[in-house]
Amino acid sequence: MLAVCKREWKSYFTSMLGYVYLTLFLILGALMFFLNNLQGGTASMTGFFGGMISWSIFILPILTMRLFAEERRQKTEQLLLTAPVDIWEIVCGKFLAAVSAYAVGVAVTIVYAVLLAINGSLPIAETISIYIGYLLFCACIISIGTFVSSVTESQVIAAIVTYAVMLVTMFLGNLSQLVPNEILSKALMWISPLDRFSDFTAGVLNAGAVIYYISIIVIFLFLTTRVLEKRRWS
Amino acid sequence: MIEISNLTKTYGAKKALDSLSFTADKGEILGLLGPNGAGKSTTMNIITGYISCTSGIVKIDGYDVLEEPKEVKKRIGYLPEQPPLYTDMVVLDYLRFVYDLKKIKEADKKAHIIEIMKLVGINTVSGRKIANLSKGYKQRVGLAAALLGNPPVLILDEPTVGLDPKQIIEIRSVIKRLGEDRTIILSSHILSEISAVCDRVVIINEGKIVVEDTTDNLMQKYSSGRRLMLRVAGEKERVEEILLNIVGIKSVTYIGSQQEGVDFEVETDIKIEPDFNKQLFFIFAENGMPILMQKEEESSLEDIFIELTNKSDRKNETEEMGGE
Repeated sequence: MLAVCKREWKSYFTSMLGYVYLTLFLILGALMFFLNNLQGGTASMTGFFGGMISWSIFILPILTMRLFAEERRQKTEQLLLTAPVDIWEIVCGKFLAAVSAYAVGVAVTIVYAVLLAINGSLPIAETISIYIGYLLFCACIISIGTFVSSVTESQVIAAIVTYAVMLVTMFLGNLSQLVPNEILSKALMWISPLDRFSDFTAGVLNAGAVIYYISIIVIFLFLTTRVLEKRRWS
Repeated sequence: MIEISNLTKTYGAKKALDSLSFTADKGEILGLLGPNGAGKSTTMNIITGYISCTSGIVKIDGYDVLEEPKEVKKRIGYLPEQPPLYTDMVVLDYLRFVYDLKKIKEADKKAHIIEIMKLVGINTVSGRKIANLSKGYKQRVGLAAALLGNPPVLILDEPTVGLDPKQIIEIRSVIKRLGEDRTIILSSHILSEISAVCDRVVIINEGKIVVEDTTDNLMQKYSSGRRLMLRVAGEKERVEEILLNIVGIKSVTYIGSQQEGVDFEVETDIKIEPDFNKQLFFIFAENGMPILMQKEEESSLEDIFIELTNKSDRKNETEEMGGE
């Protein structure tokens, strides 16, 4: 698992991909910081991450689109699947590489938190909770992107489908309000990853939300292993 | 070392492999021979655990590929038809990655990688990006990756494809050397390669084994008659008549006339031995027609291959028609 993770992580930063992501993330992060904190005059990072979460949906597929699609196209998956490793190790290795590459960008935003703490009264507990929630939310999107990448050979299709899936899930909360059936409406609200994030912004580390995100991650990583396994049998 | 029994793989209604069974022992280089689409790569992909079979058993060193895939994969070094290379990586980094991926436990990682690189002759390009290497070097990097960890079984799918003649000779000698203490299955449709490298050959066509034997036995068993090129100073009709009257001559084909004589290709039922040659000499001498040139041509593995695969194609067609 570690070997796959290391290789994948390195390949982000030996190619343009990692830098494209970092540039986009840092520009948007700076913009959000300027608009919410400097111009808005608040030390809270709730608004900052509220904006970043929407942008993340568009940035994250950059990191996930090629995870498996490229392996399949280049036939390098033959090396991985004939090595004495379990498929889940390959899937987790790639997932962790994408999460840690994303975390590089997120780590830079700690500078903003430090600046806010020095120059204002940063609500520490709320900020830690938001960071945890934001990372979980992003890991959740990465797991969905990993799964989508495993079902196609084309990076472009992988990215577009991930955007599409995330756009639908983004509007699940709004959609739930339009549904007349109360049970269905609640169910839609319950499965919306975006609405789950609101607990974290309120400074509450809700165990239910944490378990929800981890469950989504596990489900999609499991589905990815099943896709790879199934292809062997087809 | 390698036991394959009743291996069958179907893709929808198409049978890619049909009850394939063969074995390969330690220290043996087995050639898997067949036309394109015969099922060579499918067989290799199943042995290495890349794809699964529909039915049948594959055992490596006693371990079943479906029941204990990790144990099987530990023992195999695989070079697929298209080497699985991360072209954005430097050769040395790629081999380090494969070393870690295969969870190899050699005492000295660096020394082991250097040893393998030297063996396949890529130590001079270790610092270069794989994308910038020539096809021959890429193939060698793929071979080096397969050799990491010194696996007792090597599966090489058309290892010399795309190489120049010098490289082909070099890679063949590397394979020969490796085969001394390993089991190697090598696929190819280049017959000279198989006869130069392999001890035993399995010829497959349309997913079925057509024949399995040593290269020497194949030559002996399936050489359908012996061929002789003959140039005689004489009239075409007369030479043909004399040749057809000699016992053992199956057919005579006129090739052309030269200034000094006429050329014929002669096919015989019997092995061309000194007695036959003497007989030929005296008959033509008696008729006052000197033999100017005589050259024996044995059937090559290529002829045997074509004959056997054609035979199996005809058999399949007959079966299909019978079925209808």
